[in-house]
Amino acid sequence: MMLASVIQHHVLNIVGGYVLVLGSLALFTWRMLGRARKLASQLPDKDKPWI
Amino acid sequence: MLRTARLIAAKDLRLELNSRVTAFQVLPFAVLLVVLFAFAFDADAKVLIPAAPGLFWIAVLLSLFLAVGRMFMTETADGALDALRLSSLDPAGIFLGKAVALLLELLLLEVVLLAGVLVLYDVSVPASGVVLLVTTAFATSVGLVATGTLYGVLSAGTTVRETLLPLLIGPVVAPLLIGASRAFEAALGTRRGLDGSVVVKVSEGWPWAGLLTVFALVYVAAGLLAFGALLEDA
Amino acid sequence: MNESNVLHTGTRGSRIIGILALIGLAWMVVFGLLISPPDEVQGDNVRYLYLHVPAAFLTFTAFGITAVSSILYLWKRTRSLTWDRIAGCSAEIGVVLTAVTLATGMLWGKLSWGVYWRWDALLTSTALLLVMFIGYLALRGLEASPEVRARRCAIVGIIAFLDVPLIHFSVNWWRTLHQPASIGPRKTTFDGPMLLSFFVSLVAFVLVYIWLMMHRNRLAMMEQAMDDHGLQMAIAERHAEAIA
Repeated sequence: MMLASVIQHHVLNIVGGYVLVLGSLALFTWRMLGRARKLASQLPDKDKPWI
Repeated sequence: MLRTARLIAAKDLRLELNSRVTAFQVLPFAVLLVVLFAFAFDADAKVLIPAAPGLFWIAVLLSLFLAVGRMFMTETADGALDALRLSSLDPAGIFLGKAVALLLELLLLEVVLLAGVLVLYDVSVPASGVVLLVTTAFATSVGLVATGTLYGVLSAGTTVRETLLPLLIGPVVAPLLIGASRAFEAALGTRRGLDGSVVVKVSEGWPWAGLLTVFALVYVAAGLLAFGALLEDA
Repeated sequence: MNESNVLHTGTRGSRIIGILALIGLAWMVVFGLLISPPDEVQGDNVRYLYLHVPAAFLTFTAFGITAVSSILYLWKRTRSLTWDRIAGCSAEIGVVLTAVTLATGMLWGKLSWGVYWRWDALLTSTALLLVMFIGYLALRGLEASPEVRARRCAIVGIIAFLDVPLIHFSVNWWRTLHQPASIGPRKTTFDGPMLLSFFVSLVAFVLVYIWLMMHRNRLAMMEQAMDDHGLQMAIAERHAEAIA
């Protein structure tokens, strides 16, 4: 019931939508960069052609 | 190509006949589904009859997953797929042969399933709907087995085939499921108004059967093309 | 050997794009939530337009790029694992974008239609697209030689993308035969600030996609290198430790 009334509320719904999208993208980015950092520490620089 | 297809189809069907997995496991499972649906819908004719076309095709789809998994389990058991690849048999022929074998199994299954639906759900086939029913079943099955065969080979030899196959095949054949359910609805006259008169008439099913035929051809063409790319020498 | 390692996947180019993308997103938030006036018909609901539509557009672009790269991989004259890598990276980003597109679509739907979901062609085909590409990523994650994986995934990626018009068409036909066509988002007349906000969001999302692709691609390069000789390196390291 609580959640339903929050979603019906325009401002909360819309702000929530923006937070959801930006948050998901941020989470994906964070995890991706974390994994990249971990792998980069294990690999020599010659395996990183962008340098 | 056709000779290869005949060879492969005969081999697969012979294997199936010998092992009897389809007859004694997949087929009973399909009938079980028809019974379980009745439990789920409280065996209420008002719900079961309108839902019958969709339930029939859901049961076919779930059985297809099993049949495809089964067909390519025997194929990878001892690296038989690699043997096929190296056998210089025409890939298109292999694809057609496997698809035909699967098609025959699926059509048999549909006959049994339809009998189950007619008997257990008290649905009847009006004489005017028979041709539409057969056309729809055939076109849909062709599309289903084309997709099933391709994805069966794709996932052959992977450890998670049983769980991955439904995930891959399901969404791809969604258009077939939509069309087939609508066409069956028309053929069986299961959608009725409050006064018991048939709302969706047989004639309304024919456009769907036409669409399904087009889809079936598209799936077979895509399957042939992709299969060639899949089996070509690395 | 690990001390002097470069740990990041950024370059000057990716940093510039990243900063521009952040500015674009900030602009989208400020314009979309504060500056843009409420629409005459949709009211405040129109603010979803700046968020949902660009994300949806990028969803289809991402999967389109996967499909094109897959075709380029299968075509013998352009066959290269680079195309396979690009296809995989784009699909992964595409899945994230599809998920947020569907989520915002449902939230928007609840506000303007009163229901989260409608069985219309666009929603249904987007949902199935998401499922198909989740399957694609699952297939990608399986153990296989790079060539086998690339070939399998290329075929699945192309079929998944080409299936969308079929799904769209059949759902459309199904829904229009049984009931009047569902009402789409009501017509909105765009004027200056709204149009500008929309294009800023669109550009921001395109930049986000490019930035993510650059980094994800570099990560994929390292994953490939790890597959190729990560094991030998680990063994050598253990060896060195043992001697020390």
